[in-house]
Amino acid sequence: MASRWATHSRWPLTAGIVALVAVAGLGLGSLGALLWQARELHPAMLWQEPWLAAVLRFTLWQASLSTLLSIGLAMPVALALARRPHFFGRRLLLRAMELSLVIPSLIALFGLVAVHGRRGWLAPLRDALGGLPDDYLYGLSGIVLAHVFYNLPLAARLMLQALEEAPPAQWRLAGQLGLSRGALWKALEWPRLAPLLPRLAALVFTLCFTSFAIVMTLGGGPASSTLEVALYQAMKFDHDLALAALLALTQLAICLTLWLLALSRGGTPRLAVGGHPSRSAGRWWRRDALGISRFTDACWLAGLAALLLPPLAAVLVAGVLGLPDMPRGASLAPAALRSLSMALGAGLGALALAVALLAGRQWLRDTRHPLAATVMEGGGQLILVIPALVFGTGLFLLLRPRLGSGWEGYALVVLVNAFMALPFAMQVIRGALPGLSAPERRLADQFGVHGWARLRWLQWPRLRRPLALALAYAMTLSLGDFSVIALFGSPSAPTLPMLLFQQLGGYRWQGAAATALLLLALVMLVFAALDRLTRRPPRYGWGREKGKREGEEVSSE
Amino acid sequence: MPLKVYAAGASLAVLLVAGVAQAGETLTVYTYDSFVSEWGPGPGIEKAFEARCDCDLEFVALPGGVDILQRLRLEGQGTAADVVLGLDMNLMAEARSLDLLAPHGVDTAALDLPIAWDDDTFLPYDWGHFAFVYDTEQLSDPPDSFEALLEAPEDVKVILQDPRTSVTGLGLLLWIKKVYGEQAPEVWSRLQERVLTVTNGWSQAYFSLFMNGEAPMVLSYATSPAYHMAVEGTDRYQAAEFEEGHYLQVETAAMVADTEQPELARKFLAFVLTPDFQRHIPLGNVMHPAIDLGDELPAVYDRLIAPKSLAFSPEEVQAHRREWIREWRNAVAQ
Repeated sequence: MASRWATHSRWPLTAGIVALVAVAGLGLGSLGALLWQARELHPAMLWQEPWLAAVLRFTLWQASLSTLLSIGLAMPVALALARRPHFFGRRLLLRAMELSLVIPSLIALFGLVAVHGRRGWLAPLRDALGGLPDDYLYGLSGIVLAHVFYNLPLAARLMLQALEEAPPAQWRLAGQLGLSRGALWKALEWPRLAPLLPRLAALVFTLCFTSFAIVMTLGGGPASSTLEVALYQAMKFDHDLALAALLALTQLAICLTLWLLALSRGGTPRLAVGGHPSRSAGRWWRRDALGISRFTDACWLAGLAALLLPPLAAVLVAGVLGLPDMPRGASLAPAALRSLSMALGAGLGALALAVALLAGRQWLRDTRHPLAATVMEGGGQLILVIPALVFGTGLFLLLRPRLGSGWEGYALVVLVNAFMALPFAMQVIRGALPGLSAPERRLADQFGVHGWARLRWLQWPRLRRPLALALAYAMTLSLGDFSVIALFGSPSAPTLPMLLFQQLGGYRWQGAAATALLLLALVMLVFAALDRLTRRPPRYGWGREKGKREGEEVSSE
Repeated sequence: MPLKVYAAGASLAVLLVAGVAQAGETLTVYTYDSFVSEWGPGPGIEKAFEARCDCDLEFVALPGGVDILQRLRLEGQGTAADVVLGLDMNLMAEARSLDLLAPHGVDTAALDLPIAWDDDTFLPYDWGHFAFVYDTEQLSDPPDSFEALLEAPEDVKVILQDPRTSVTGLGLLLWIKKVYGEQAPEVWSRLQERVLTVTNGWSQAYFSLFMNGEAPMVLSYATSPAYHMAVEGTDRYQAAEFEEGHYLQVETAAMVADTEQPELARKFLAFVLTPDFQRHIPLGNVMHPAIDLGDELPAVYDRLIAPKSLAFSPEEVQAHRREWIREWRNAVAQ
């Protein structure tokens, strides 16, 4: 019976349920509070108001287009990156990819405009080539460009992680067999990417669907508008809670349907389960890395660099030029520290919730409750589809009248940020958490490796890198977050993004650019630090390590 | 277990951030973000008031005036605010209908506004006109009226803000409505030719686009050039004066009826119309002070445009805003 205990110990389920109750409870609770305040809904407005119907159509259209392009282009980019584990600037490119998701939209817009704008860096090139209108940054093309800028790197980064986690043995074997490009794609690459795609597409779609500042700023006018804008107006200007709740429910219904669809697909279990991160260990020969693919890979990577780096460089240049106008120090360092500690709290919170939900899902799956498993995982994505404004206001309604003064406000921001980072953390960890394959599990059971020892010696080594990446994403997302903190207001002690907005509100452009640079530097630092901490394989006794390797090879037969 | 250590560290960090609560009498003022920043008027005003009140003045910063109103509405009677500072004329009627605010009881004889003011709840602390700010290096001959703007050459593009999400955007909506009345929708659809894009907020428009040279004109305040001239020392950015007149914005302070600090709140409101408060406005908030500052007014303010003022009453705005926004939406969205 020892093996049954080991495999089906109930703690993952308990942890998962606790996390689910917390997330779904607060998420739906906030929405419920709003509904309760709103009293009555008029769903007919959605189709009776021609304007709302138009907004809905446009939102769906731009989000679909952005998702298609982001995911479609991310695939060759990720493959090229996986095929070329060593080239000059690879690490820089990876850092830039991680950065792009977490840049506050105001900064990203600044960079995009500086490069692609009517008078941007590309203007001479554009004029020389002709053909492109000088205001291609405004309108649908601009919206899609900005969304691809944000989401392609995220998608490619996650795909790359999935590719790199393929067991080295498989790559070695593929090298020895001299598999061609097509064969590799069929045997190795596609099977690793396919299960990822539905969720990734759902994530990107949701992000584009709920995008606000980008769609408005680059949209060119109210003709290109999103539900979030209508929601904002209903909530803030008109205090029309009924309409706000209706819009929030519409958004919830559309995105949740999509998520359930995505979660119910892509559920194919892996054939083999990942071993060590293979980048450093990988010295196998890839036949497909030669010939024409040298050229195509170079094109894809150059394309990625051309998309990503110039806007970041524009922010960098503006920031460096603004350094002399930095705030006089008094507020900068405390703001940075405040931001970092809040981000750490939110990041760890997101991580804990993500691990609990995924462990619960895995348990349910192992015990053949696929529907419950889907619900458990879907619960984690709930926050993504509840607009921050609704979530914040709903929480406010739930918790009032005692709220908001002093540290309660900060704690609430940390909590909400943890929730909002949860979907990203789950996306990163998901691939790694299933942990041991059935044969490995049996083997571990036979040797009596249970509980803590199993976690420490068998699961932790596989989890540490994905966990670090997830923590980095979660931390930096809340590091750059302004929307949540803006909801609750603050006593005169700003975080970095608040400082940035204060500077802008006070015309301090140059200083604001420097603050933006500092924010980006912190984001880089978090990623680099967590990467460095987990890059080396943990120091185990040689014998144990060897034993595990052998175990793994047995299992992947 | 490393995770435990991290978790403990995190909660410790949260506690550290929390800081220490202060004792004594505290006056809580809800205001907007840029007011309390270290470049805004907040810190100077706080220091000056605390020197004379023997109390602790605490600002709670929200993103904008709309958020102050929203917060008041959500908190209702239980609000922690003693004073709200930052509701402009277009929010006044809404705020008044919440029945949460009390008469200010301040002698307004010192007020120096372009319009007469007799409201006994809302006390003005600064004012300004909405205007199109232009870049003299891109545009040597700016339009001098709406008509001229509508007829301007192809490459004279302007960056606007959305009336649904921004104060300046709403300002332009009211401005055009005031000038053109029934013809406003037609003017809006003609104006579309001139519009590069419509951002959600003023910061996006001014910083991300205008300062990047994306368009020669941006919807902003007539006082914006004062900052560029006085602090940056450049005459490059100026406001175009329109002969139809400019829409007026007046920002106000008001006290909460249920405040536990009525004495202190009144003291603060009386302080608003003194030079000790007002001298921080021109360069801190980049708006006109609400009283005559005499020699203390920065010299650059003499070089700003001084247009005719246009305004609807707060009640008119409250009654028609949604209808006018709908009208605008239909005019500009094809």
